[in-house]
Amino acid sequence: MNTQRVSGKRSFRQFISSVALFALPALAVAVAVPGEQAPAFSEVDAKGETRGLEDYKGQWLVLEWFNKDCPYVKKHYGSGNMQALQKKYTDQDINWLTVISSAKGKQGYLEPAQALEVAESHKLAASAPFLLDTDGSMGRAYGAKTTPHMFIINPEGQVVYAGAIDDNDSANPAVIPNSKNYVAAAFDAALKGEQVAVASSRAYGCSVKY
Amino acid sequence: MSNTSVHRTLFPLLFLLLVGVFTGWSTLSSAQETATGDHVKVRWLAPDTFGPGEETIGFYFEVDPGWHVYWRNAGDSGAAPRFDFVGASGKVGEIQWPFPVRLPIEHLTNLGYEGDVAYLFTVTPEAERMELVVNLEWLVCKVDCIPGFGAMSLSRPVADQVVWPDGDKALRDRFAAQVPVVVRGDTGFPWSVRSVTAEAGGDSLQLVLEASEGDSAATPAVFPLDGNLLTAKAPQIAQSGSTIGYTFQRVPGAPLPDSTGFVISDGTRSWQLEQLDIQAAATAAPSLVDGGQPLWLLVLAAIAGGAILNLMPCVFPVLSIKLFGLVGPEKHAGERLHEGLRYAAGVLVTFAALGALLLVLRAGGAAIGWGFQLQSAPVVLGLILLFWVMALSFSGLYEFGHHLMNLAGNSRGGAFVTGVLAVFVVAPCTGPFMGAALGAATLLPAYGAMAIFLGLGIGLALPFVLLCVFPALLNRLPAPGPWMETLRQFLAFPLYATVIWLLWVLGRLVGESGWLIGAMLMLTIVFAFWLGRHGFRGSRWLAWGLVLAALVLSFGAANKLQHSGAAGAALAQESSDWQPYDRSAINQALSREQGVFIDYTAAWCITCQVNKKLVLESQEVEALFRENDVYLVRADWTDQNPEITRALGELGRNSVPVYAWYAPGETTPVLLPQILKADMIEALFDSK
Repeated sequence: MNTQRVSGKRSFRQFISSVALFALPALAVAVAVPGEQAPAFSEVDAKGETRGLEDYKGQWLVLEWFNKDCPYVKKHYGSGNMQALQKKYTDQDINWLTVISSAKGKQGYLEPAQALEVAESHKLAASAPFLLDTDGSMGRAYGAKTTPHMFIINPEGQVVYAGAIDDNDSANPAVIPNSKNYVAAAFDAALKGEQVAVASSRAYGCSVKY
Repeated sequence: MSNTSVHRTLFPLLFLLLVGVFTGWSTLSSAQETATGDHVKVRWLAPDTFGPGEETIGFYFEVDPGWHVYWRNAGDSGAAPRFDFVGASGKVGEIQWPFPVRLPIEHLTNLGYEGDVAYLFTVTPEAERMELVVNLEWLVCKVDCIPGFGAMSLSRPVADQVVWPDGDKALRDRFAAQVPVVVRGDTGFPWSVRSVTAEAGGDSLQLVLEASEGDSAATPAVFPLDGNLLTAKAPQIAQSGSTIGYTFQRVPGAPLPDSTGFVISDGTRSWQLEQLDIQAAATAAPSLVDGGQPLWLLVLAAIAGGAILNLMPCVFPVLSIKLFGLVGPEKHAGERLHEGLRYAAGVLVTFAALGALLLVLRAGGAAIGWGFQLQSAPVVLGLILLFWVMALSFSGLYEFGHHLMNLAGNSRGGAFVTGVLAVFVVAPCTGPFMGAALGAATLLPAYGAMAIFLGLGIGLALPFVLLCVFPALLNRLPAPGPWMETLRQFLAFPLYATVIWLLWVLGRLVGESGWLIGAMLMLTIVFAFWLGRHGFRGSRWLAWGLVLAALVLSFGAANKLQHSGAAGAALAQESSDWQPYDRSAINQALSREQGVFIDYTAAWCITCQVNKKLVLESQEVEALFRENDVYLVRADWTDQNPEITRALGELGRNSVPVYAWYAPGETTPVLLPQILKADMIEALFDSK
């Protein structure tokens, strides 16, 4: 009789744990949602330094997803639009991290040394050399779907904006001057303590190559 | 147009001037009738000669195999093509988009077109020649994306009659037929919108459609127009009768607008619903039940389904235990009643727990199906152990039997535990009525879903309770006597059979070692009992130690094997005619107009196995499939497979068996009944 009890309890526990396994994918969907706490991350940058969300506690932080071969990234880097934004905000002591979530063997993947070269050639003006999220853990935690995909995190660690860089999903750089930049608009409002009008948008671009 | 003649001579000149002045492109000299880019060729679908009136023409995109271009809402990534008319000698209407397909690309879903597509628009000539100059931009993707740019011009005479080049009109018509009809008033829209609901702070949005003619079996595909609000991921579909619910995932943090729109396609035709008001979820949810199928009817169906479960082979061993306890000596009517009620309580509490679990997981967004507890190797191993021990006791091998009888027959917990057990083993025997009831449960608001679950429980417990309430029925049973010992021993055999079946399930779950692990555990248990009965010093401790070690080892091994994916090897050994489930292979078969038959099955599903042996793998049926060149797919849901769970969800089901038949050239399946007969398969080909 006791045997049965033991196995009963055991299988029950196993059952619960298998249920937890079922539920996991659902939990994994938890992504960066405007108005909620930003997911934690800890990644090594191209110089080998580890950078995590906690390092930016009490500060503004922009996350940008990058893939050097993506035409939409080229649109914003070739035109100098992205670097100008980076410079504009890093000059105001706002942190900017550019993340590469391409897996090894996939488009856009860079070894640390290559990443430093690309940062140089692209005139990257972020707060750190590229973060190398080779296993995609950070990208998945944030639900980064495209390159570029932008997130703004406020000093309280909450997501203020998630989505596209602007409102024009053309690959043509010529449209940039007439596009509404969501990141700039969000900062304009948020830094004044106002409500961000567009806190979320459909991120356009190439898929992140996990 | 009274001054037509002046108009017709002047306008082309003016037009050329305008184009020359305003376009950044080097105008007509460089603009051509075609445009090309990597993996894409674009040409006009236009008449050789325009007529005086409105004409629908198009940009015909020929895209390399495997590559795709986009719909107006491109989905999770990508971008819709752009057509920038920089000059036109006439009126140009809005772009018309044929309905798209969902293109799962790695972790994302895009909305667009594979192969060729034509983006259409209407033009009305207002000059002697129809002149158009357009700047194009498009994005073509496989996994990587390549943008393309081009300029195209068109210059055709306008006469009294339209003259189309051979073939192009048919091509134009083909895509025109795929452009959604905007639903305003009576447009032959075969569904009506019951509700569009969303919680203010939630992460989903629910669209409920109702079929006008109750019998439309096909579930239409629904595409959101607003990519800023909803992700392109296929919605979870739940169907109950003529009501179909679609649950879309919202773009995280996107504010909820007052209204939104969808395109709905049955695979050949499509409709566009614009500006449907979004209601707050709380107020709208109950209406889901009121108008469609009343909840009481669904609950009645659930009760009927539950009662039928009693007749299924899986429940028999459990019921036999209880029956045995009831007909035992020294039983009073009152006790029997209590017994019956305790059993019912066990059943109901378990169903309630499963219902709650479903609701929790549903809220968490996990697609899940009935029978999922048997997808876990440790749970299967636990059941093997339980039934093995019971079977041994029934055979009278050891004294334990009396304890078990006491447990199952006398103690308060016993009847309750039997009830719990009954629910667990009944899972593989999804009866014919249960599919619909459970499908409804995934769609209904929480209380309705719970009512369905409890209905199933009531149905399962009812015959047993009736037997207890009306002792007259029991009195008809023979008086207790030596025959009971015979009966008890006989009843061990269904238990042995169950053990064998569960061992096989375990083998399917974790591969060849499954049966070995199970059998070793069984051997150890028997040996431990033998040790325990021998009175030499320390044998009891040794027995317990052995049992404990065996449990830890076997459960650990089963768990580990399952997660290391050993099952793949076992599943790969299917007969060669049947292909494993692969969405893109199925889509390819569909696109080359091959018939496709999908058998959604699982090792733990007895109905599935019976159908497979008696029908699907019978010689006649196999020959029939071969003659008709049917692409056979065995979607094995034994193990946890989210792809198959999703596919089942799209069919409005969350349990197996499901048999889906795509006739050649059809993209919407016919679902066959859960209990298959060979003539049903024959009928599929007779109608051709």
